[in-house]
Amino acid sequence: MQPILELNHISKKFPGVQALDDVHFDILPGEVHAIVGENGAGKSTLIKIISGVYTADEGMMHLEGQGEVQFNSPREAQQAGIATIYQELSLYRDLSVAENIFTGHLPRRRFGAVDWPMMRQQAREILHSLEIYDLDVNRKVGMLSVGNQQRVEIAKALSRNARILIMDEPTAALTESDVEQLFKIVRLLQERNVAIIYISHRLQEIFTLANRVTVLRDGQYIGTKQVAETTEGELISMMVGRTVDNLFPKLETEIGAPVLAVRNLWRKPFTLGVDLTVHAGEIVGLAGLIGSGRSELAQVIFGISPAKSGQVLIDGKRVKINHPGDAMRLGIAYVPEERGSQGLIRQMTVQENLTLAVLRSLTQGPFVDRNAEKTLAQQMIEQLRIRAYSREQIVNKLSGGNQQKVVVGKWLASRPRILIMDEPTRGIDVGAKAEIHRLMSELAMQGMAVLMISSEMPEILGMSDRIVVMREGKVAAEFSRAEATQEKVATAMMSEQNGSGDATVIPSQDPTPVSGGMSQQ
Amino acid sequence: MTATTSKPLPQSEATPLGQQLRGLLAFLGSQEFILALGIVLLSLAVYADNPRFGAERNLLSILSNSAYIAVAALGMTVVIITGNIDISVAALLGVLGTIAGQLAVHDYPIWLAWLAPIVFGILIELFIGFLVAYLRIPAIVATLGMMSVLKGGLIFVTGGAWIYDLPKGFFLAQRQPLGIPMPIYFMFALTLLMAIWMRYSATGRAIYAVGGNREAARLSGISEKRILMTVFGINGLMVGISTILFATQFTTIQSTVPPGVELTIITAAVIGGVSILGGSGTVIGAMLGAILIRTIQSGMIFVNVSAYWLQAVQGLLILLTVLVDIFRRRRQMSAIGK
Amino acid sequence: MTTQEAPQERSNLQLSIRNAFLGQEGVLVVIMVIAVIVLSFTSENFLTVDNLLNQARLMTEVGLIALPMTYIIITGGIDLSVGSIFGFSAVMLGWLWKEQSFPLEAAILASIVIGTLSGLLNALFIVYVRVPPIIMTLATLALYRGMAYGISQARSARGYPDWFFQFGQRDFLGIPTQIWFLIVASIFAWILLARTPFGRGIYAIGNNEIGARFSGIPVNRYLLFIYVFAGFMSAVAAFLFTSRVSTTRADSGTGMELDVIAAVVLGGTSIVGGSGTIHGTLLGLVLLQLLKNGLSLSGVKGDATIVVIGVVLILSILINNYIQKRFRQ
Repeated sequence: MQPILELNHISKKFPGVQALDDVHFDILPGEVHAIVGENGAGKSTLIKIISGVYTADEGMMHLEGQGEVQFNSPREAQQAGIATIYQELSLYRDLSVAENIFTGHLPRRRFGAVDWPMMRQQAREILHSLEIYDLDVNRKVGMLSVGNQQRVEIAKALSRNARILIMDEPTAALTESDVEQLFKIVRLLQERNVAIIYISHRLQEIFTLANRVTVLRDGQYIGTKQVAETTEGELISMMVGRTVDNLFPKLETEIGAPVLAVRNLWRKPFTLGVDLTVHAGEIVGLAGLIGSGRSELAQVIFGISPAKSGQVLIDGKRVKINHPGDAMRLGIAYVPEERGSQGLIRQMTVQENLTLAVLRSLTQGPFVDRNAEKTLAQQMIEQLRIRAYSREQIVNKLSGGNQQKVVVGKWLASRPRILIMDEPTRGIDVGAKAEIHRLMSELAMQGMAVLMISSEMPEILGMSDRIVVMREGKVAAEFSRAEATQEKVATAMMSEQNGSGDATVIPSQDPTPVSGGMSQQ
Repeated sequence: MTATTSKPLPQSEATPLGQQLRGLLAFLGSQEFILALGIVLLSLAVYADNPRFGAERNLLSILSNSAYIAVAALGMTVVIITGNIDISVAALLGVLGTIAGQLAVHDYPIWLAWLAPIVFGILIELFIGFLVAYLRIPAIVATLGMMSVLKGGLIFVTGGAWIYDLPKGFFLAQRQPLGIPMPIYFMFALTLLMAIWMRYSATGRAIYAVGGNREAARLSGISEKRILMTVFGINGLMVGISTILFATQFTTIQSTVPPGVELTIITAAVIGGVSILGGSGTVIGAMLGAILIRTIQSGMIFVNVSAYWLQAVQGLLILLTVLVDIFRRRRQMSAIGK
Repeated sequence: MTTQEAPQERSNLQLSIRNAFLGQEGVLVVIMVIAVIVLSFTSENFLTVDNLLNQARLMTEVGLIALPMTYIIITGGIDLSVGSIFGFSAVMLGWLWKEQSFPLEAAILASIVIGTLSGLLNALFIVYVRVPPIIMTLATLALYRGMAYGISQARSARGYPDWFFQFGQRDFLGIPTQIWFLIVASIFAWILLARTPFGRGIYAIGNNEIGARFSGIPVNRYLLFIYVFAGFMSAVAAFLFTSRVSTTRADSGTGMELDVIAAVVLGGTSIVGGSGTIHGTLLGLVLLQLLKNGLSLSGVKGDATIVVIGVVLILSILINNYIQKRFRQ
């Protein structure tokens, strides 16, 4: 059979990152072809090239019946019969189901009037063809559950006669019964010869649903397998199979008494009864997939979205943290995941950013002590080797690595005892990365308790004294530095059953977290 | 909490009866129905206190007085749906009324005196649209500036003089075909037209789309700039028509800006159910909102409450509607697990 | 030292940024000088001590409210209700004194408390219910003005005792008394914005509210304060106004929000938030008053001067936008 879509030698570079490097991909009509890989492996970039959001720097895309193609906008890809269902659904909450299905190509009558009866009729027909009989086409989409909204998206794709349907983590926000429904629909589409590109972190889904699976790692094409001829173990080792290099100068430290402990911490929908302890001098690596609730846990601890129930203990004493100010007073600092929106005020200067969190203690009477401010900023710039033209430089003009150092510096200035670092080295160059790792290690040696959230396996394995794996809002497993391997950690992240016997498995009581998209907190 | 149940939400039971029942409930809970009910109950209450309120002449005059507010509120609704606002409408109303009056009093044909406010209204609003869509000035500030330009310009040019001795044929709003004041026909006809246009034209739907989800609208190929120009153009058209109804109701025209009218128009649009967060709202609600305000105003006179309280009541009405809107959206969000 | 390792072109870039900022205030000063020269030639009455002091007297009320408005606009908000709070407080002052027989001192105090509470109502809904500031203050623009009309029944209160006029019509140490209020308030507002953690927080909120929250800045408390401050200053301005014009009327301060916002924006505060200064606002205020004065000296009637204010408002936003765009490149 001829592939309906074939991509060869695709490369795409972003400033500082080679997102895709010589990647191959093809898909047959009526096939479900899964793409797997760790966070940052290049899956999103690949589907964005196919759906016309990005254009590839190099390589060719061949579409059956149209020959060589290149899409310059999502619209062009749609017209070529490629529809994409993103995790963030692109529906209009205040319009009806029927209208959403036909956005952009409403059935018209004379004078450009919308033909409502026709539209409703056709919307119903499309839904019925997907064996969906229980969805009222007149309902506003904003009133529907996430699962039903997704069905509307699928119907919308079909109304444009999509031949290729891309689904990006379609089950991430669904309940179990919605997942079953979705699988039924996917199989129906397969029978109608629609090709489906399926992105998922959940390996069991791939084994139930997909025909073939392509593995990406660090932007590289690793291989394509027939699902029937492979195993979970093989896929995981393909996904993680790289050597852990000795980039990280992890120093041996003396591990002291517990400093931070949380007990049965709840805040729906992402934090579902978490227990965690971090000792003085210890770096705890928090691993997990995107959406497993790691950043959300950090934000619960830091008081940005305070816990609804459960305990936080500092030095064994119970404390209440209702906003970041409380957390800071208790000696907690949080270097957030999103440097641009959460970590920095990018339009302000290096100095103003470095002192922002501690400004209220740098005062003489009611006034900011400008000398103390200058001294502190200068000290941080030197300590962290921040390369800036001056203290007065606008942060936005710095490189990513130096911006990250400013965020770290801002929190070190608050002299924390507990440092939570969320993706501390994402999107920064190798040199800056090594510096941040060295710094983390030194801080731990000085007795700081460090909780490091990371999606990079080498970083997790290289830096952590202990590794805690989260999955679906709960702690799924815990490994000591000695016993942790890439396979064990990856298995715990992705798989329902735990591959390794010596991992501590926390029993789960409530296995169906439901969420709508990403948390923005 | 609903967010963690794995059961599908209640929309799965979709028997015809269930659908009808839900339709009925949706209708009963709609802003339009609540407003209509409010108007009726309020009228009954005032009537019980003072039966003269129920006189046919009074009821007709309430509707007739609502008309120019309602027509302007139609345009305002469309503007607010896109997440913008126009606080220069009252100033525009004053300027356009003066233009119409001056043309009529200087012996230009009557039709020209009626057409001019519409044309100038559209042009001025298109200029505002340009400021907002292309020069990226927030609508609130652009229209605040326009308001003062129009208001000051009017006084500068005319000194606030009265226009007398208008020709007989000019007074469109005073005509009463079949014993019903002309503005009422305009109000109902325009509301109907706009409701149909907003619902059935592709542009109408695109307006909702821009207000509801800007990013998604862009991805489906809708030009936000063009939609904003259209929206302000429509607002100009509506203010123009509203001006004709407003300026032809009395035998004189004062060349000033009617005080506080922009607030009445915005109040009508907001209590008509247009969401301040953009993306929803209906023009029928706006018309009912205008009628409700006029009913309250008239009712206050009949139960001997000073009319000076009216503006405070309007402020409270906006506040109340906005709060209900925000809480309703929050509940929706949590009901679907967001 | 590591700070000197960066390439040299950065320094040029920084200089040009600095120039753009200097340029904006520089331009205001230049325009002001030109305006003074032109006015002093066109009217011999302009460049007299009496006229200048009188102009300063007239701009005090707008100036007092422009101070908190600068904070509000820097955070990316807006307060349209200040003119109505002004009218409401003025009416309450007159009504409490005249109709409720309060001692005048108590009435003044009460009117300021009422104005502050009006600001608090705005603040609570904006911060805790998350009503957008435009909508909230538009609603209270109607509400407070309506209260002013309702309570006073549009009757004015006059006949204040002589000592009351000290604040609005007489001098203190040689200059009009209310100017002292403006001077003290301006210094206070300037220090608060330029020299305290609060001020830094205000800029941080305007540039990136989420980032400010993540840095542990008490965003809610700061926002609460600025809207309350706006209410308080509107009420103080209303008291000085009443003393100046000897009467309270329900329509006092109608349209005042326009003058206030125009002064702030003309002074270089970005309408989308993030930048602005108190001295810029004061420059804007003075320039606006010069324009008004010039127009009235050349025979333009009071109400018509708002044309110029409207044009100035829109133009200064366009210029701001232009500068911001250049600044980003």
